[in-house]
Amino acid sequence: MSVAEQNAARSSDTARARHRLLDVRKLTKHYPITEGLLRREVARVRAVDDVTFHVDTGETLGLVGESGCGKTSTGRCLLRAIDPTSGEMVFDYGDGRVVDIAKLEGRALKDLRKDMQMVFQDPFSSLNPRWTLLDLVGEPLVAFRVAKGRELEDRVAELLRRVGLRPEYLRRYPHAFSGGERQRISIARALALNPRLVVADEPVSALDVSVRAQTLNLLEDLQQELGLTYIFISHDLSVVQHICDRVVVMYVGQVVEVADTSSLFFTPKHPYTEALLSAVPKPDPDLASSRIVLKGEVADPSNVPKGCAFHPRCPYAVDHCRQVEPKLETLGDGRQVRCHRAHELSLSGVE
Amino acid sequence: MLRRILGRGQPVAAGVPAATAEPTQPLETETEKHDYAVASEWELMWYKFKRHRLALICGVVVLLLYVVAAFVEFIAPYNPEAQNPAAAYQAPTRVHFVDAEGNFHLQPFVYGTTSQRNPDTFELEFVEDTSVIHPLQLFVRGDSYRMWGLFDANLHLFGVEDPNVRLYLLGADRQGRDMFSRIVHGTRISMSIGLVGVVMSFVIGIVVGGISGYFGGTVDLVVQRIIEFIRSMPTIPLWLGLAAALPADWSILQIYFAITVILSLIGWTGLAQVVRGRALALREEDFIMAARLSGTSRTRIIVRHMVPSFMSHIIAALTLAVPEMIIAETALSFLGLGLRYPAISWGVLLQEAQNLRSIALAPWLLAPGAMVVIAVLALNFFGDGLRDAADPYKR
Ligand SMILES: Nc1ncnc2c1ncn2[C@@H]1O[C@H](COP(=O)(O)OP(=O)(O)OP(=O)(O)O)[C@@H](O)[C@H]1O
Ligand code: SF4
Ligand SMILES: [Mg+2]
Repeated sequence: MSVAEQNAARSSDTARARHRLLDVRKLTKHYPITEGLLRREVARVRAVDDVTFHVDTGETLGLVGESGCGKTSTGRCLLRAIDPTSGEMVFDYGDGRVVDIAKLEGRALKDLRKDMQMVFQDPFSSLNPRWTLLDLVGEPLVAFRVAKGRELEDRVAELLRRVGLRPEYLRRYPHAFSGGERQRISIARALALNPRLVVADEPVSALDVSVRAQTLNLLEDLQQELGLTYIFISHDLSVVQHICDRVVVMYVGQVVEVADTSSLFFTPKHPYTEALLSAVPKPDPDLASSRIVLKGEVADPSNVPKGCAFHPRCPYAVDHCRQVEPKLETLGDGRQVRCHRAHELSLSGVE
Repeated sequence: MLRRILGRGQPVAAGVPAATAEPTQPLETETEKHDYAVASEWELMWYKFKRHRLALICGVVVLLLYVVAAFVEFIAPYNPEAQNPAAAYQAPTRVHFVDAEGNFHLQPFVYGTTSQRNPDTFELEFVEDTSVIHPLQLFVRGDSYRMWGLFDANLHLFGVEDPNVRLYLLGADRQGRDMFSRIVHGTRISMSIGLVGVVMSFVIGIVVGGISGYFGGTVDLVVQRIIEFIRSMPTIPLWLGLAAALPADWSILQIYFAITVILSLIGWTGLAQVVRGRALALREEDFIMAARLSGTSRTRIIVRHMVPSFMSHIIAALTLAVPEMIIAETALSFLGLGLRYPAISWGVLLQEAQNLRSIALAPWLLAPGAMVVIAVLALNFFGDGLRDAADPYKR
């Protein structure tokens, strides 16, 4: 069976029955802040704090939140680009093997790379400028001894074609390409080993507005063709609304709300989500980036407020919020919210 | 954050890369565009370096100096130790194109010189004997020498045929030895001590800087404090102390290596800082993480990603470290604490110019100093050019 057929089979499988691909439980990543020659720990940045969510095959899960809320750290833990402080990340290979990514070592960790890949935010720093496209896109194939020589060239040419680049570009260096094209090179590289899950960390934020839509469409097309599952990290809610099936909203390292995209956008359940939605800037082609700007300071992840972390900025905060930390609760319709007043509040979403 | 494409494009804001990455100044042809697209790092660096005229010229000068250093015996017209009491402090021989009768000669020539003692001042005075013309010729047979300890030869790049006529292009010293030949011979030690010293600092620098940058944290802090401590020490007294401690009965070769060790003990700090800086910068680069996530092994990441990113910076830093070594050797030898007679280096030669009388009488004895200045400036400008070109992808 060729790769394409395999993928087609995989995608029709997933159409029939979605199943759990990844289960993240109580994932935590703390960065120690040290001082002096002896590196005494004086505080810790709670970049990812007790994060729990899951990803099903074939879906696109959004991870949103303000800058510094721990999106990148979460994504990197999932791939073991950095080691989590604690927690489980259960990954189902779909062939009977189920592993906890947090515990993988050596050979088993390397094997994970075949099924989980990452697309970086900065298309300039994520490609070694000294390497040709053949080397860059072929790197995973070489590392896993999948192909070499003539066959490698063919495979890379095919990957380039797949992401909409001319296969003749094999011998060119990244400096000859624009940001959008470079991001396509990164995508081709991520797809080289035919992964099941791709973590895309703000894949279009660094790109010119005019090429964002193209790149997003490419990602969607590839998902269709190859039956991919995405974790899509973004701070741009309009992009998230466009591409994601479900969304996890994070605030200061914690999950505050999980819901499918339309429910989240039309009927948010968490005051933070409401605030995010109200701050979505009107589409403005002149604006290169649409950073969310909310009232008040983002809480310091090394000094998280007592009680509900959002209470200093929350217009609905009551005394109870300042004293007791809310838990992530599952509501009747399967949505999850971390707010004491989720049941009583009626929040407004996008019109 | 600005990004320049090969330095010839206009800066483009990083957040909004241009839709196509063609250099803004249009490349003339399709081939040129293609050449640019497939240009490797070294080719891009060469384009960038080439635009730095001064660095290019200085690069040629440096190359010439090392060629001279390799072939001193052949390039020097005489044995540097050949004495000639009759020619003590003789002024530089004049090279003529027009003879005493006013005829023009295409081939430059010199006249023989006779010396006589001035009865009033008791100083030697030199008079040109214009009766015989001695043309300067290429490839003359003269003093014999042993080339690189391998074979005997007596061919010299240039000179005059008549062994009785001495050519003193840069004058003669107290014992009538040819300064030009001596300076040429000095090139070998002076230029090579820089290289050998740098290789030694390079090894220490790479190891210490690499450890510091790779491990970071406490190790880095400790190493940085040590480097700062070493850097804050006044170098001259330190060298003096170390050099003075060398046993007096050591051979030239032993002294030579001891001096390079002393120089590199201090010189490595700069290199270590370059290496550390690069290692720290590389840790931030996503492509290292991307390589790891592609399953590439640690060794391969170091060999194929990290070392090539260091290379150009290290070469530039090395080049800039050589002149420091040359100056240091010259200073030590000049003060009589480095190399000593019979070794010949520019610093040793300058010892001859230590007293006022000889400078007043024979200012050409300062010529080795001019060589030091030329060599140091050329290496510095060349190194600056290299450093500027070292990162053709600079953002
Ligand atoms: N290596 C590190 N050491 C210490 N603190 C870190 C480190 N990396 C990230 N942090 C901190 O952890 C927190 C979460 O960072 P992270 O990069 O995961 O956020 P993010 O949501 O991706 O933000 P952005 O939108 O800016 O990319 C931030 O406060 C950040 O300063
Ligand atoms: S728990 Fe209280 S403070 Fe926190 S979000 Fe809900 S209402 Fe606001
Ligand atoms: Mg981030």
